[in-house]
Amino acid sequence: MESAVTLADMGFDVALVEKEASIGGKMILLSKVFPTLDCSSCISTPKMAAVANHPRITLFTYSNVKSVKRDAHGFRVRVVSRNSYVDPQKCTGCSQCETVCTVARPDQFNDGMIARRAIYIPFPQSVPKKAVIEKKGLSPCSQACPAGIRAHGIVSLARAGKFREAAKRHLEDSPFPAALSCLCYAPCENRCTKGKTKKGAPIPIKGVSSLMANGYYGSNDQVAIKTAPDAPEKRVAVMDAGPAGLSAAYHLALNGYEVTVFTKDSAPGGILAEGVPEAGLSRELVAREIDNVIGAGVIIDTDTSMTPEEAGRRGFAAALAPVPWNPDLVMDPVVKDGIVTYPELVDRPYLLAHAIGWGRRAAVMVQALVEKRNSEDALVLVPALKREKIPAKDPHYTVATKLSEENVQEAVSGCLDCGVCSECRQCVEVCPGGAIDLAMKPSTCEIDTDSVVLATGFRLFDPARKPLLGYSRYPNVITAMQMDRLLAPTRPYNALLRPSDGKIPGNIAFVLCTGSRDVNAGNPRCSRICCMYSIKQAQLIMGALPISEVTIYYIDIRAFGKGYDEFFQQAEGMGTHFVKGKVVRVEEVKDQNLRVHFEDMEGKGGLRQANHDLVVLSVGAISNPGIVKVLGDDRVEQDELSYIREVDGTVEPGRTSVDGIFVAGAASGPKDIPDSVVHAGAASAQAASYLIRTGALK
Amino acid sequence: MIVDVKSTVLPKILVFSTDSISDPGIDLAGASHMDYSTGAMVISVPCSSGIHPGWILHALKNGFDGVFIAADGTDCPFLEDCTARTGNIVAAAQALLKENGIDPMRLKMAAICSVCSESFVSHVEKFNSVLLKLEA
Repeated sequence: MESAVTLADMGFDVALVEKEASIGGKMILLSKVFPTLDCSSCISTPKMAAVANHPRITLFTYSNVKSVKRDAHGFRVRVVSRNSYVDPQKCTGCSQCETVCTVARPDQFNDGMIARRAIYIPFPQSVPKKAVIEKKGLSPCSQACPAGIRAHGIVSLARAGKFREAAKRHLEDSPFPAALSCLCYAPCENRCTKGKTKKGAPIPIKGVSSLMANGYYGSNDQVAIKTAPDAPEKRVAVMDAGPAGLSAAYHLALNGYEVTVFTKDSAPGGILAEGVPEAGLSRELVAREIDNVIGAGVIIDTDTSMTPEEAGRRGFAAALAPVPWNPDLVMDPVVKDGIVTYPELVDRPYLLAHAIGWGRRAAVMVQALVEKRNSEDALVLVPALKREKIPAKDPHYTVATKLSEENVQEAVSGCLDCGVCSECRQCVEVCPGGAIDLAMKPSTCEIDTDSVVLATGFRLFDPARKPLLGYSRYPNVITAMQMDRLLAPTRPYNALLRPSDGKIPGNIAFVLCTGSRDVNAGNPRCSRICCMYSIKQAQLIMGALPISEVTIYYIDIRAFGKGYDEFFQQAEGMGTHFVKGKVVRVEEVKDQNLRVHFEDMEGKGGLRQANHDLVVLSVGAISNPGIVKVLGDDRVEQDELSYIREVDGTVEPGRTSVDGIFVAGAASGPKDIPDSVVHAGAASAQAASYLIRTGALK
Repeated sequence: MIVDVKSTVLPKILVFSTDSISDPGIDLAGASHMDYSTGAMVISVPCSSGIHPGWILHALKNGFDGVFIAADGTDCPFLEDCTARTGNIVAAAQALLKENGIDPMRLKMAAICSVCSESFVSHVEKFNSVLLKLEA
């Protein structure tokens, strides 16, 4: 941010690319800064706002640089904006979507200590303050459904107790929720990741659907009939009142088509008309589901024969018809001469989901035919299935697990939310700005630049790599970043509590040099910040919890900057215990308290032990070298720890081994905030000097 | 049950916040489930130095009991002299209120930072008490 603002203030046009949904880096998440104890957010937010409002800065958040290639004029940078599924121009940051979202995820901005939603605004101070959706493709259950029903959405809505909404969500995809819950062979359950885990049973999706559909029909026994639209140019004849034909008619009617279903039979429903008693599907239930189709505005003409040719003569824009099943048939609708055909089920009610899927796909093809456009994008909604995925005839229907509303939530609580966003579409319905589009695609742009500044910062050491310290095994062993979040004004619990039981910790230990100055951890270098941030946190803890005991286990205290030593002495004066000793092991004892085993270097020597309520691991900084890979032929040199090497850090800070590419801040080595800001200024000056020297600034 | 209507009527406070600094702070008060008067309503503007004194008079003449400007202070990302400019607007607005027979104490200004949720709640509660006294 500092480099961008400095260069923009000098008159250069700057593009700033940030991988997260908000700028601010790690600093915006901190409590206070050392040694002044100024509020970190209060310093960051004006700078963030300055970046966002600067007329010479173009901000790309939630974006990644995919490649940097040198050309005759400078560099061509390819930036991919990740798919947020939210139009930032329309999103006002009102957060209403977050309140209705049915999927919870660990909040990365609170180091996983609390949950956020699948659709989220990073934090109240985020810039830009826009929602993004975390979505990793389709969940396996949704993807497995031949009818294109978002099974994950149904499950997540049921988990939230929203059965009515779940039924409505199902009705957006198919008019036959109850029939499916009786007849379907449930490929969704077969693909459920939960069922593939040790001791895990798949989520009973059929049971949830059955409860949902029967509950919905219990309170909605009558359908409000929509009048058929008067759309002469969109008149479609469907020569099939079976499930596939009705499904196609239903989806066409929902999209504003005037649809007439013709059948020689005296009642619609095809193979379902009489119900399927052996699967528990009654004739009455089928009749109620056909009412869903009629309710959508479909006209059903019984006791009438119709041929595609006759339909053409009568002025229908398109016709749909089944073709007799044979083993070599293409298992997908086919368009030919204005007629869309699909396989006929005959005596295969167990393939109901396939029939509904064919109906949906046929409807999309008809729309493409009538509106003379490409159908590929829309067909993605219900992907075609391979022939081998269609099961051989199985007359034995699997009965859905009987669930009550009381125990359904327990049954679905184990859902792993594989694709994260479940496509339950609650956010779409509630968004006042109409900003959410689940069919959105990521965008790519190429920027021509004269120079590149790498300011990708650092990563924190993952203490799970040192299992003896207990992180990720014991809930009360946390990292210093988590402690900073607990102390920040935007803290997750609004109080300083330990994770296991919400108790206020009375005795807290800090373990310095976790993953730094440690050859075994692969990082022999001092991280320069851990001593000072630990001392800062100790002071803040003693301010928040005056009766608490704070112990810092250290090898050396490195308080080297302006006012740092005084800050250290101030902490000592406040009563922080400084113990010179290397911690070798942390173990859990009674009440999830922790016993720290350390080598006493200054006292009597030898191995000693001490008990604490909470242990904070002061994790070191390690390099974040991912960006180097995208530089291609202009790959900058890195040092032995993968930080970007400055050719001469003493006299030319910020200059890398590649002309025109500069490094700012902690990407070149661990730095505290003031040093990072100074270094960013130096890198900006280097870049500006290069741009003037090469004639880029006119 | 007899309901004491007087005690349930809360002063209506119009809060002017700023997009980048004070609005996130006020948002944080809500996100942290802090308790403050439900009579406070917030309108966000890009910078407090753009507030027109006439808006304040308009608000107080049309049903609001008080106006609170949650300014950026020295944190303003646009102007170095934002505090002085907003101060001048407040002075001009207070003069305008006096001319129209409205107590200038119905206008309050304070700097609210992006995480000053507790400070915001405290200011609103104090302002609420002042407005209740003015009503008495």
